[in-house]
Amino acid sequence: MKEVNHMSIYKNLAKKREFRTLIFLAVIFIIVGFINTDFLTIGSIQNTLKSSLLFIVLVVGLTIVLLTGNIDISVGGTLGLSAAVCGLILKNGGSIFVSILAAIFIGAAIGLINGLGVTKLKISSFIMTLGMLEITRVIHVIYTNGQWVENLPAGFKQLSQMNVLGINVLLIIVLAGITAIHLFLTRSRKGRYFSAIGDNIDGAILLGVPVQRYVIYSFIASGVCAALAGLIFASQIGFISTNAGLGIEMTVIAAAVLGGVSLSGGVGTVIGATIGAVIMISINSALIYMKIPAFWNDAISGLLLIMIVVTDAVLSRRADKHIKKERLKARVLKEEVSVNHAHAK
Amino acid sequence: MDETNNLITLEGIYKSFHKNDVLNGVSLKLNKHEVISIIGGNGAGKSTLMKILTGVYQADHGEMEIAGEKIENYHPAIAHEKGIYLVPQEPLLFPNMTVEQNITFGFNKSKYEIREETRKLYKTLGWGIDLKRLASSLTIAEQQQLEIIKGLLRNAKVLILDEPTSALTFSETKSLFEVIKKLRDSGVGILYITHRLDEVFEISTHTVILRDGKITLKGNIRDFTKDMLIDGLLPTGSETKHQDIFEKKYTGHMDKPPVLTVENISGDGFRDISFKIYQGEVVGLAGLVGAGRTEIAEAIYGITRCQNGRIILGEKDITKLDINEIVDNGLSYIPEDRFLHGIFPISSVRNNVTVQVVKRKGFFINNNYEKEIADKYIDRLNIKVTDHHQEMKSLSGGNQQKVVISRILSINPHLIIMDEPTRGIDAAARNDIYAIINQLKEIGFSILLISSDLEEIARISDRIYGIYRGTCNAYLGFEDINTANVMKAAFGTYEGSESYVDI
Amino acid sequence: MHMLSKIPKWNLGLILVLILEIIIFGLINPRFWNISILLNSFNDFIGIAIIGFFVTFVMITGGIDISGGSIIGLTSVVIGILSQVAGMNIWVAIILAILAAGLCGLLNGILIAYGRVQAMVVTLGGLLLYSGIAIVLIGISGVSAYEGISGFPESFSMIAYSTVLGIPSSILLFATLFIIAYVLLHLTKYGRYIFLTGINQDAADYAGINTKKVIASTYVLSGLSAGIAGTMLTSYLGSARAEFGSEYLMSILTVVVLGGTLITGGKGGIIGTALASIIVGFLQVGMQMGGISTQYIGLATGLLLIISVALLSISSSAKDNMKKLLGLKI
Repeated sequence: MKEVNHMSIYKNLAKKREFRTLIFLAVIFIIVGFINTDFLTIGSIQNTLKSSLLFIVLVVGLTIVLLTGNIDISVGGTLGLSAAVCGLILKNGGSIFVSILAAIFIGAAIGLINGLGVTKLKISSFIMTLGMLEITRVIHVIYTNGQWVENLPAGFKQLSQMNVLGINVLLIIVLAGITAIHLFLTRSRKGRYFSAIGDNIDGAILLGVPVQRYVIYSFIASGVCAALAGLIFASQIGFISTNAGLGIEMTVIAAAVLGGVSLSGGVGTVIGATIGAVIMISINSALIYMKIPAFWNDAISGLLLIMIVVTDAVLSRRADKHIKKERLKARVLKEEVSVNHAHAK
Repeated sequence: MDETNNLITLEGIYKSFHKNDVLNGVSLKLNKHEVISIIGGNGAGKSTLMKILTGVYQADHGEMEIAGEKIENYHPAIAHEKGIYLVPQEPLLFPNMTVEQNITFGFNKSKYEIREETRKLYKTLGWGIDLKRLASSLTIAEQQQLEIIKGLLRNAKVLILDEPTSALTFSETKSLFEVIKKLRDSGVGILYITHRLDEVFEISTHTVILRDGKITLKGNIRDFTKDMLIDGLLPTGSETKHQDIFEKKYTGHMDKPPVLTVENISGDGFRDISFKIYQGEVVGLAGLVGAGRTEIAEAIYGITRCQNGRIILGEKDITKLDINEIVDNGLSYIPEDRFLHGIFPISSVRNNVTVQVVKRKGFFINNNYEKEIADKYIDRLNIKVTDHHQEMKSLSGGNQQKVVISRILSINPHLIIMDEPTRGIDAAARNDIYAIINQLKEIGFSILLISSDLEEIARISDRIYGIYRGTCNAYLGFEDINTANVMKAAFGTYEGSESYVDI
Repeated sequence: MHMLSKIPKWNLGLILVLILEIIIFGLINPRFWNISILLNSFNDFIGIAIIGFFVTFVMITGGIDISGGSIIGLTSVVIGILSQVAGMNIWVAIILAILAAGLCGLLNGILIAYGRVQAMVVTLGGLLLYSGIAIVLIGISGVSAYEGISGFPESFSMIAYSTVLGIPSSILLFATLFIIAYVLLHLTKYGRYIFLTGINQDAADYAGINTKKVIASTYVLSGLSAGIAGTMLTSYLGSARAEFGSEYLMSILTVVVLGGTLITGGKGGIIGTALASIIVGFLQVGMQMGGISTQYIGLATGLLLIISVALLSISSSAKDNMKKLLGLKI
């Protein structure tokens, strides 16, 4: 009996998409490390992680929205706008604290508007956030007069470069934050509402989940994460161009899907999504270490994404079919029973 | 003394929807240590009664007491609080959550407490679903077990089981019965809704028969036999639901080769089914919901594949053909779920009528032709529409069904399979549809009729095959057909006329 | 009779918006009323419009295609490499490039219809993959990615710059593809099947329609249209680059949705998409003439998108409520 239990644990683990993605990530590292051992040095790994920070923060927020069965395309626009606002406040002599607060506030406000549009006006989240993406981009340009925001104070840029014991502080904070969010979403009573909504909305309503409110929360979370990513962007790069974050939303969605988050809701974890984001960035640095030209990057990510989701869809459909079959089969009278039955009074 | 034992008392419950009386004064008492079976055909009011018990609906009239306490302003939260728990036929679980997460969802208790209690329950019940498994990986039996566990953890005093065995295997059913007995012994009151008469005798202490919103029979199970239950399900002579407006006469051509021959087909949900249909006759497949009738129809129509056996339409073997090829060969299907599979709700009536007939026409749409076809059938079947651009979803159920029938008649098939043609349709439109079916067979169409309204199937079929739990166990010739025999065939207790099976 | 659906009314609204737009921009800058400038402006949004026509097909079946923009870039690069690097005849190169675009659409369609993967995910993968392939092609052919491939023959640039009887070729192309799309969608059996599939795919299957083939075919058409748009854009700009079309995604979806096509499928039309693409295109031209930065166009299209969808969903739910009320009284 115990062995069976062990078996099922392994089976369950192997079935989890994030686990498969993690193995995939390990394989990338091993293969590339084999070709060029420099890739496996702590410094190189830390560099990869550091450059994925931005994507990790974005994908965590997006995952919360995806869990409820919605989507948020506007993250790139929110990122750019909040980074620009923060940058301009700093340049005009505002304190770092105020600039960060302002950026977060903007992210939350955009999320709130998205959430209200989706729940109250019943606009599909795809369209709502698509429109919001365009609007935030334009406001960004108007706000900055189409200029790049440059020469951010050194103190602000320093934020992303601080190290403790040789490890980037921001990295530690982000990883700790992800762990906390993961625990909240999977362990706490209310945190589980998010995936319940995407999993079976009727069931969630029946059990008293305030669906609309939690959908709005998810968009606010995504907006705040996008704002935080904007801050990281500003601090790491040191300037904010007018097209900061342009096109990033597609990479982030791809990262989430790669990390096992379903676009139809209810399935996925922020940890899986994080691994997905690291893979997207690792491909980039792996190519460099393998001395393969960087222009292969998009083609490889695209092919990977398609292959993984198609396999996944085929597997899950097979499982569904099997369950339905079992259900129907169970209804059929067994032969020996039918004989007994015929003689029963 | 009686007060402490009583769990639920219903007194004269009435409920109607849009002038459609569903419950006409139901009174029922459930005490501790009782398992009451509730038997009734489709539409007898069972599910409405359960919804009133769990607070989803409010009764129009009547009184309800729980544990001797009169209840006002009842709703689902109070039901949970008072320990009344329904295990629905299709469990409402979160498929992508684990078993444990499903148990604990929305529960205000620590995980360890719940885990401990679940462990204890497992021990007493002898069940053991791995808490770490995903709900989507559970069999339907396990899902039901999970729902029962959810109910018991919330200290259910009354457990309502809605056809729990409909998807269970023999051994799963046995273990469920063990559990029901244990629960009964521990004082839980159980309402057990079922179609299966064997089960009634196996586990219930009392039985109640519901027919047309009234209780026609109730009492201790020891006082009944199966035949008495069947009698209770039958309409009493004077109050048949349908007015016979025409005399049924046999117009089939059994002398000619059959239109459809089904030879020993087996598939998911049915096993070893054989029958023949001749020109100009209505053949009924009588069975209860979930007996496998729809699965048989879908296999014939090519939606699913048979594992073995042959289906021959006219002289052509259609066993392995796709739907569109089967349609081209002259077989049409009116699906059971009109809304999901039958109609195009936001399209016009005209487009709904011509869905299939346009296939036979050229590459371009011919408006005049479509108008002509639509006019013809709107007139012929007396479909009530303002004009044929009206949106399909704004039509009444009966008119929608007539549009679906028009669509099928427009391609002039040899055989029409009608799956629950009168479901969700008011009485007048129902009679229209019966009249249409009769006309069709007189013209020479062949019809395979599937219905869980057993009076309906008895009234319009010329020959009937009984389907019970996926097998064909009874055959009724033209002379054998009456409501009682059909009822027996559907409930798996028909024994006469065995010799005719090989027709 | 009021049932005569909201789509014609929606188109009426679009026409009104278009007229207002022309009047307002003309008042700001009378040059806007110069017909030849207006007609020539079609070159700037022809790609959005023709892809929009066939994304309308896709959306009516209940799907979505966001890969069109990258297929433009891929087509452009394929034309450039085949004709300039491999030295092929330019017309053969164009045909091969458009076929390649069709193949991209076919891959999308097969994975969506037969593999039953969500359209959004597949075309997102396609978006990355096709532009990725374009970048790879540029990379391995040793062309500078910044300069792109240029030096096309004079005859090639004639595609975008020639006129027939004084009408710019972009208008002719717009009209031709509009007519093809309109006839296919609204006057043929195939178009009828597209609508029926989008309204209720299961019911369409039960009625013997091969819905998988119908769905897959719409992605092929969408891919082919992106190929034509890519050819046109390459000719117009005189060079082949991988990133052509990358900023088209939002505009394409905007014109389709603004045109009144339901994102959930089953309803929509080519006239609406055509009007919406002209509205969005003129908006761009008008704003430029009015001295407003092109950057504001995004604000306008974004707002248009959200407001139009909100109006569509509010009006339909209001209608439903009205019907319920009326139904109860009867």
